[in-house]
Amino acid sequence: MKDKLEALLREGAEKIQSAKNEAELQEIKGYLLGKQGKVTEIMKEIPKLDVSLRPEMGKAVNNVKNLLQEQIEGRLEEIKLKASEISEDFDYTLPGIEPQIGGLHPITQMCYDLNDAFRSMGFEVYHGPEITSEYFAFDNLNFPPNHPARESMDTYWLEGHDSGEANEKLCLRPHLTGGSVRYMKTHKPPYRFVYPGRVYRNETTDARHERAFFQYEALIVDKDFTYTAGKVMIKSILSKVFGQDVPVRMRAGFFPFVEPGFEIDMGCLVCGGKGCSVCKHVGWIEIMPGGTPHPNVLRAAGVDPEEYTGFYVNIGLDRLVMMRYGVDDVRLFHGTDLRFLGQFR
Amino acid sequence: MKLSLNWIKDYVKIPDDMDLSRLAYDLTMSTVEVEGVHDLGKQYNNIVVGIIKEVLPHPNADRLRVCKVDVGTEVVDIVCGGSNLEVGMRVVVALPGSFVVWHGEGEPVEIKAGKLRGVMSYGMICASTEVCLEDLFPPKGDHDIMDLSHLDIDAGTPLAVALGLDDMILEIDNKSMTNRPDLWGHYGIAREIAAIYDLPLVEFEKYVPNTENKVDVRIVDEEKCPRYIGAKIEGLGIIPSPFEMQSRIWRVGMRPINALVDVTNYVMLALGQPTHVFDSEHIKDYIEIRGAKENEKLVLLNDKSLELSCDDLVIADSEGAVALAGVMGGAKDSVLPTTSSVILEVANFDSKTVRKTALRYDNRTEASSRYEKAVDPERCDLAVSMAMKLFSELFPNMKVTAYEDKYPNKLVKKEIDVEFEWLDKRLGKRIPQEVVARKLGTMGYEVTFNDKGMHIVVPTWRSTGDVSIKADIMEEVARMYGYENFEASSITAVFDGAINQLDMDLVRKVKEYLAFRCNMQEIFTYPWMQDNFVNAILPSTEGVLALSTPPAPNEKYVRSTLLPNICRAIVKNEHSFEEFAIFEEAQVFFDSDYTSEYDPIEKLPKQSKHLGCAFVGKNDKISDLFRRAKGVIGMMPRYTHMEGFTFKRVEKPYWADATVWTNIYLGEEKIGDMALLSKKSASVCGIKVLSAVLVEIDMDKLIPFKSRTNRFVHIPEHPMNEYDVSFLVDSMVKWDEIYSTLAEKITDNSLLRDVKFVDEYKGKQIPEGKKSITIRLVIGSSDKTLTGQEIEEVANSAIKKLSKKLGADIRK
Repeated sequence: MKDKLEALLREGAEKIQSAKNEAELQEIKGYLLGKQGKVTEIMKEIPKLDVSLRPEMGKAVNNVKNLLQEQIEGRLEEIKLKASEISEDFDYTLPGIEPQIGGLHPITQMCYDLNDAFRSMGFEVYHGPEITSEYFAFDNLNFPPNHPARESMDTYWLEGHDSGEANEKLCLRPHLTGGSVRYMKTHKPPYRFVYPGRVYRNETTDARHERAFFQYEALIVDKDFTYTAGKVMIKSILSKVFGQDVPVRMRAGFFPFVEPGFEIDMGCLVCGGKGCSVCKHVGWIEIMPGGTPHPNVLRAAGVDPEEYTGFYVNIGLDRLVMMRYGVDDVRLFHGTDLRFLGQFR
Repeated sequence: MKLSLNWIKDYVKIPDDMDLSRLAYDLTMSTVEVEGVHDLGKQYNNIVVGIIKEVLPHPNADRLRVCKVDVGTEVVDIVCGGSNLEVGMRVVVALPGSFVVWHGEGEPVEIKAGKLRGVMSYGMICASTEVCLEDLFPPKGDHDIMDLSHLDIDAGTPLAVALGLDDMILEIDNKSMTNRPDLWGHYGIAREIAAIYDLPLVEFEKYVPNTENKVDVRIVDEEKCPRYIGAKIEGLGIIPSPFEMQSRIWRVGMRPINALVDVTNYVMLALGQPTHVFDSEHIKDYIEIRGAKENEKLVLLNDKSLELSCDDLVIADSEGAVALAGVMGGAKDSVLPTTSSVILEVANFDSKTVRKTALRYDNRTEASSRYEKAVDPERCDLAVSMAMKLFSELFPNMKVTAYEDKYPNKLVKKEIDVEFEWLDKRLGKRIPQEVVARKLGTMGYEVTFNDKGMHIVVPTWRSTGDVSIKADIMEEVARMYGYENFEASSITAVFDGAINQLDMDLVRKVKEYLAFRCNMQEIFTYPWMQDNFVNAILPSTEGVLALSTPPAPNEKYVRSTLLPNICRAIVKNEHSFEEFAIFEEAQVFFDSDYTSEYDPIEKLPKQSKHLGCAFVGKNDKISDLFRRAKGVIGMMPRYTHMEGFTFKRVEKPYWADATVWTNIYLGEEKIGDMALLSKKSASVCGIKVLSAVLVEIDMDKLIPFKSRTNRFVHIPEHPMNEYDVSFLVDSMVKWDEIYSTLAEKITDNSLLRDVKFVDEYKGKQIPEGKKSITIRLVIGSSDKTLTGQEIEEVANSAIKKLSKKLGADIRK
């Protein structure tokens, strides 16, 4: 009988381990411990034994019963842990259900990235009127009276406001710098602000030229500010926006409202400066003009140029966005085509 | 502008081993943007001068010949169809491996040895068009090959060497030197190179006339003509200029014509000073520089015939205008085929006058584009000197028989004082005085040092507006010292409080709310509107501003509302998507107010920031579209932290559907509209497939909260129960009425806590004129868990109220 019990224990353990799911295990449980089960079968033989052997064998059977019970419970836990309600043909490779979201215009995205970068350096964000007087568009900025930009072929003048004195003539702002003077006239120095906005030029459009495009102006006016600090500012901002260290160079350039003036180039990120079609094989891309505000501009803003100096840059947002995403036609930005705009999440 | 490096080397001795890409880089960093360096000789690789030894007939083609050509190293067979082939002729031979422009058309193709109609040909004898030299060697006949017989050149000499084409051409970006009239010639750039590398610059000797006779020059308008030199030169004639002069003119992009014209162009390209020659036989009595008479007529050299305006400046003789000053000579009196004596004009004209005149007649020229940058009058001396030297070289018998130099308004050189302390502070660095003196000296500045700084006299060629203040001098020093040689310095920060710009933040929050929470796409449109969209949205264009030179004739109005362009965007997209939502935030403009907060003398029209939205979908989803719009706009204040809106109907927008519309109010003030675009307006826009609910809000009216204002509410301890009720009601009854009927019972302590809209249904099984409404009552108590019976009682009381007040018929 002892042998029988040992054999049952071995058989039971094997069966229990081989059970693949709850149902199979239940079946095995019945086979081993049920009313008609193997253990009961052996138990029924006990009364046939000699009385002196009965207590010992009773204990042994109970022991086997408990052991099997434990094993079944253990196995049940195991099976439960691994089990799933879902049939096995579930396809986890099906595409995900995308969240329903719209998007900001890619230029707004770039603008906000820059705002965040500049704000982290203590700059305010400014907005100004888009229709401006010639006085603010040109005179305040040291543009000579007959500068070509003042003519209708370059600037959108308003009907009924396109002649007369500079303070009476109105146009869609041709650049943001005039608006910077508005900020300075209504605030006290030192200044540290950025001014994003759309500007307008009356010109023929093509893949690289638009009638409406975005500029992003940043201006610092302070005592004892050197333009070499301006270079540090540009480098920090570009590195933050592009997520990598961006080489920057400043070279001679002329703009009426700065002295000295610079053309500011960034190293071409497409070829890493080796030269490619994007950078016209020079390794550098012209991205913004900059410089020290011209004394006449500071004077127009009511700031003493002997006391204050500063640094100004004007970033072409469209160009920067085109660089970032590889967009090859500037007209797409105002084209309102959702198949284009929807790409920039 | 194109510059020849060989030409520049006439004026500054650039070391032969100078790395040209370095030169281009340094010029770009310090002076002007060099857009490209073009190796002219490179395109003539493997193209040599050959001498024809024999001309034999082609066995298989009547028009072709087989030539035996000496190409230096050997005599080769070349098949050629040229009509002017002769033994002994010097010709251009493109050897295998070279590139030529086949028949003068298309991209260059490679020459290979091969059979032509059965005969081997080891190269090609070229026409001038095939090696892009037609300007220097104009073909006489259609099938003429280029003839170099007049030049004494050995067979096998590379063509580039034979013709002096082994030159580098620098392409300068014109935009980078609009402020520098001194740079519009080779000499000016040479001066910059001299200053960058500390090299000596060639000086010119002043011309001294050896005649007492005067040309009768009368300057009437001295403002517009500060200087005029006229020199009568005899003993000239119409001959071609020497090849090297032609070649140089051609290399930098102009066309050689004849010796007289070429000299004037050469001087301009060398010095940036335009000059002109008149046939002296045709100039009657005197030369007068005066304003044109109204409607005075002049035919230009390019055969344009003009009726002049009195704002133009002309050169005239006793019979009338002979040239448009600074722009172009007249056809009648300039160089003619018979010209043998001329009056050379070297003059200075007012930049604005020249510019305006050139623009007025759409006739910008090499001369006008230089004059309009404000050339200095002193440069006339250099130009006269160079022109006389060239004429005397070309015409050994030439004689100056009369001369006049009228210079009524002598240019005053600018003088500037610069303190060292200021310079050091602004540069962030001390640059040694001798470096400053040397760099400025090479550029023509006279510098004298004193205890505090330096006194600087600006050269004439920089005194016409370019350099006038000490910041200009600082720039001169810095760029010549090299911007890259300044160490970066750090930015000092002043902290006086956190930046807090509620209005800026609100705009951003609104945009991010619409894009990321409401599944809308931001768009940008132009500020001008197309007429049909204006007509669809606005009852009239009164109060709408317009452009005087619009981008298109039907796009002159400047937006006073964002909706026309939003409709245009719908048209653009309605065929690609059947459902979409878009928004735009932008400024709009009104022909009113005319004040300025920035300057009392300025008068700006009213300008506000607007938000426009469109919810676009299928025509049978109007209610959904409208409710979606209302949900987006209604929830906006809560999510973006500003004062809330209310919706009420006061004034239907012009463009709105007669039924589906509401106004948006902030307190007592109307701040916007929300409505279905009417069928009529949609068809005027050309929206054919979809329907659109439009929203426009005046963003300037919004009132941002200073911080978040959401309040914490205790989570109820006892369960809240939802109880749905459906009832029939007259279809004209509005939700507002249903809600307010029940909501008046809601207090902090009432058992009815909320009433929510679930569904509205019209159609089958619902009687005409009725609709079925399902609402959800939220019932609960803060003191205890309600029993089923208690809940039932609250619901029944609500139902009773609905029946009594609105005639609701409860459906069980």
